[in-house]
Amino acid sequence: MASHMARHAIIPRTAPFGDTERASLDAVLGAASPIQRAWLAGFLAGLDASGAPQAATVPAAPPKAAEPLTILFASESGNSEKLAGDMAKLARKNGFKPKVLDFADLDIASLAKEKRIVAIAATWGEGEPPARAVRAYNELMADGAPRLEGVSFGVLSLGDTSYAEFCAIGKALDARFEALGGTRAHDRADLDLDFETPAAAWIKDTLKALAPPPSADNVVAVDFAARAAGDEDEEAEPSREPRVVEVIDHVNLNSSRSDKETIHLALEFEDGAPAYEPGDSLEIYPENDPALVDEILAATGLSGDAALRQALLAERDITTLSATTVERFVKATGHAEAQKLIDSGEAKAWIEGRHLIDLIQSFPATVTAEHLTTITRPLPPRAYSIASSRKEVGDEVHLVIAAVRYETHGRARSGVASTHVADRIRNGAKLRVKLKPNRHFRLPQDPATDIIMIGPGTGVAPFRAFVQERRAVEAPGRSWLFFGDRHFTHDFLYQLEWQEALEDGSLSQIDVAFSRDQPEKVYVQDRIAQHAKEVVAWLDGGASFYVCGDATRMAKDVRNAVVKAFQDVKALSPAEAEAAVAALERAHRYQQDVY
Amino acid sequence: MADKTTTRTYETPPTDRPISEAEAARAAGLAANEHIKIASGYLRGTLADGLLKHATGAISEDDGQLVKFHGMYLQDDRDIRAERTKKKLEKAYSFMIRLRIAGGVVTPKQWLALDEIATTYAGGALRATTRQTFQYHGVIKSNLKRTMAAIDATLLDTIAACGDVNRNVMAATNPAQTGAHKAAYQLAKDISDSLLPKTSAWREIWLDGERVVGGEDAAEIEPIYGKTYLPRKFKTVVAVPPSNEVDIFAHDLGFIAILDEKGGVTGWNVTVGGGMGMTHGETDTFPRTADVMCFVAPEDALKVAEAVMTVQRDWGNRKVRKNARLKYTIERYGLAAFRAEVETRVGKPLADPKPFAFTANGDRYGWTEGDDGRHHLTLYVASGRIKDYENGPQLLTGLRRIAEIHEGDFRLTGNQNVIIANVPSEKRAEIEALVDQYGMLKGASALRRNSMACVALPTCGLALAESERYLPSLMDELEASLASHGLQDDEITIRMTGCPNGCARPFIAEIGLVGRGPERYHLYLGAAFDGSRLGKLYAEDVTASEIKTLLDPLFAAYARNKQAGERFGDYLIRDGYVTRTTNGPDFHDSTGALKSAA
Repeated sequence: MASHMARHAIIPRTAPFGDTERASLDAVLGAASPIQRAWLAGFLAGLDASGAPQAATVPAAPPKAAEPLTILFASESGNSEKLAGDMAKLARKNGFKPKVLDFADLDIASLAKEKRIVAIAATWGEGEPPARAVRAYNELMADGAPRLEGVSFGVLSLGDTSYAEFCAIGKALDARFEALGGTRAHDRADLDLDFETPAAAWIKDTLKALAPPPSADNVVAVDFAARAAGDEDEEAEPSREPRVVEVIDHVNLNSSRSDKETIHLALEFEDGAPAYEPGDSLEIYPENDPALVDEILAATGLSGDAALRQALLAERDITTLSATTVERFVKATGHAEAQKLIDSGEAKAWIEGRHLIDLIQSFPATVTAEHLTTITRPLPPRAYSIASSRKEVGDEVHLVIAAVRYETHGRARSGVASTHVADRIRNGAKLRVKLKPNRHFRLPQDPATDIIMIGPGTGVAPFRAFVQERRAVEAPGRSWLFFGDRHFTHDFLYQLEWQEALEDGSLSQIDVAFSRDQPEKVYVQDRIAQHAKEVVAWLDGGASFYVCGDATRMAKDVRNAVVKAFQDVKALSPAEAEAAVAALERAHRYQQDVY
Repeated sequence: MADKTTTRTYETPPTDRPISEAEAARAAGLAANEHIKIASGYLRGTLADGLLKHATGAISEDDGQLVKFHGMYLQDDRDIRAERTKKKLEKAYSFMIRLRIAGGVVTPKQWLALDEIATTYAGGALRATTRQTFQYHGVIKSNLKRTMAAIDATLLDTIAACGDVNRNVMAATNPAQTGAHKAAYQLAKDISDSLLPKTSAWREIWLDGERVVGGEDAAEIEPIYGKTYLPRKFKTVVAVPPSNEVDIFAHDLGFIAILDEKGGVTGWNVTVGGGMGMTHGETDTFPRTADVMCFVAPEDALKVAEAVMTVQRDWGNRKVRKNARLKYTIERYGLAAFRAEVETRVGKPLADPKPFAFTANGDRYGWTEGDDGRHHLTLYVASGRIKDYENGPQLLTGLRRIAEIHEGDFRLTGNQNVIIANVPSEKRAEIEALVDQYGMLKGASALRRNSMACVALPTCGLALAESERYLPSLMDELEASLASHGLQDDEITIRMTGCPNGCARPFIAEIGLVGRGPERYHLYLGAAFDGSRLGKLYAEDVTASEIKTLLDPLFAAYARNKQAGERFGDYLIRDGYVTRTTNGPDFHDSTGALKSAA
């Protein structure tokens, strides 16, 4: 885009410059944003007025305040938050005065006072907002939301095409801002897991669109201090480049009698682990099941193509089947039957529980290697909560990964990353990984603060890190773990370690809920209910509350159980109890890492 | 300077200091379990707290001893023991829960409830034991209390099903002798009730019962047992000749019905000092067949039972636990002195035993008719394991269906079998149809009908070798061998245990196999078919494959040379293959094969 615009002549031939000078000016101005141009106009005007040509950093005209821009993010895994930060940096360079705000901390009444709003929102589960954003999102959607006349906005939505309600939250926010009277400055983009490149482009375009029109009196000051601070931020962040690690321990933690398979994975960083904190995640770059790759190659008659095979193994998402995939498939192959599927509106129902292989086998067509690449999206990395503390394991990172296997439409399916790890990775194998910090899931600053940890299944991962960390720093605060799974005897992840932690005091209390050990199902939220009085007493005493694991049901049930506990123990109305928990959330004492 | 003296008076140090009862017990050299009992507060220990420790499926070691008195053993699945530590899991702990069912009589309603408990908490199997009761396997700690509550709701319990107490009292089932069975059952029930521990610990711990507030006066809390209960387990049975199905000679205390001509009970011969358990390699431990001590009138039987138990309580060896059972007490002090003490406690002299005769210690299979016209069907249950077998009898479902329509009762036998008892004539066909439908009469050869195996691996902590899981395939081989010598219909008793504690009473089986280590067994031969004589160690550390090789020529010789009605065990002694064991003290003498079979 930029180079194309640079070639476009801006300075007229009639201008008092030579050809070379004109080309240079075209190159600079063509690539400049409207705000940069506006700044330059003011700057040059001021320069002439003062007659002081050397003072390049001091605008001659009295600067106006930098243009305010509020960047909201609704983030679960941290992607939206990361993009909000990136956008803020670029905005500063472009003369905005950006403010980054988590939906969790948003007072929606304040929105009416804003001039420009960008919302970067992830969609979670079955079309839901990220957990921390739920409150503000609901308020925004409710009748009491403020009018936004005179507010320019843009929405960037992140999602996953493998879910039916793709980008639902971004779409809803976009419509809501408009309905409240806001002016859409730039069209919304709905991005899939391979969002990085299109997100960067959207951010750039949106900043351009949000910039005030260049006019003589629209002189903008550049906030150099803010820019310098932004650069510092960049340096403080731990490296996010993918690294190669060696697998040094690979154990299925479930007993051989269990119908589950949960892998404890110890990874070693040869030249030092990145500076991760308990609560952070690690992304794994998986490979696809070679058997599935071969099946797709066989179905398309492309078995001989070694390069394609390699690409399908390591680079393309060859399982996810979304409406987009079907559309691309039809576009590539012109398959009439598949086209009918789309036209009849049945595609959405048909793709439910199906994968790419089903599409290819159900609608045989001539498919080329190029088609396969355009039909599929890049293979996304998969993030896992880190289950270790550097203070205990040094340059290792431990993960705990449940193998996902199920059957739909008569075919065995498997989770790409989890079964890559479970089936095809052993001690000595190498994996490509990337650190994914999560500053919204952190131990309390004060080690004397009590913590309550709700971590059924692999949700226990960060709490193993928490307990290791608190053991290492000899934290005086108490810690209470609620764990759950199917069977006590066969699925009690890290049982011996919890016993040791109870022994050495790094864990004060453990309560367990094994759903299939007795006729009635028992879950962690039932244990919270049983211990309502104690839980509330801990929270009243300043404890922080953490939930990790399943987002669709568990996290909600747990939150309801805590609300109910407040209600029952303190004789509060439902609304008062809800407010008590919301207050904990706003104080960052109720934190979630759910998926 | 150094010689500067001060005058000061000191108190005299105490020459004695108060010591706890536990310390006193230690000072007296008592066995470890005695300390645990003393410190337990009448069998409470720290069990209630242990149940609240959610990170472990186990209980403390001392509680592990105490919980036996409540009818439970802490066990673990030894099949998967090796993988557990690597998986950061503790041993796969669970509890065996044994019920107390005096005389083995269960109503259909109770049966259905016990079945449901098995299905819900114990892996879908009820195990009939060798002592006429049921036990559950695989109940995890978090389900203990609800399982116990469910058992309590059946009006049964597990008190004193294990531990150093009078355990489940067995009684002859003798379906054909209705009157004698009633008397035997009543005596068993009375003994069971009167010798039951009285501590409220069971109800308190398992059913959240109120702790009875009161003094710690032993005379009030445990008038018979006191704080330390018995030195060791104590097993009581009641037999009705000619059947010795309860294996009376293998038990501490026994009553043999002496019948009048009409089949009525005129009184009881009292047997004392039987027992199976021993320790490999320690010849001061041995199995022993009981002595027939005296005869008592029906009205004195209960008094004698209590006296025998209390003499053992007071005389039994509490210093050396492996020599603590009544059989060693009798060996130590002599039968005459023991009888005299019993007479003293009963308050009158006891008559000498009356003549009696047993013919067998097995069960009578199939239908029998009682003298009251009621019908009884004895079903063979392989190793007592009542479950639905893949490609085999659907015992659990079938018996459940029968319990749903049955108007009589069920009886468990000492041979791990089940009797559908007291069926009126008009119901017989209906029951028979269900027995057929669920394949419950299939697959019992003469050898199998006279077989028993203990549980052993994977759950029993004492097992040195397989038993229940191995005996069936061994019997396949032996059946072929017997058939090749025309002995397929000969009744020969065969019993296997995984260790020498002898739960399946192998030392009084004609073929006794006792686990020594993985796939290795001691082979005992020459016991009496009616359970009245111990076998003799014939071959040591026999591998599984050698068992058949050793037995085949003996079967051949028996087939060739047996006299009319001569039993296999008797034949081996008469023809000089193995030495006759007279009783416990010579059990370890003259072992080995005396000659090789041609």
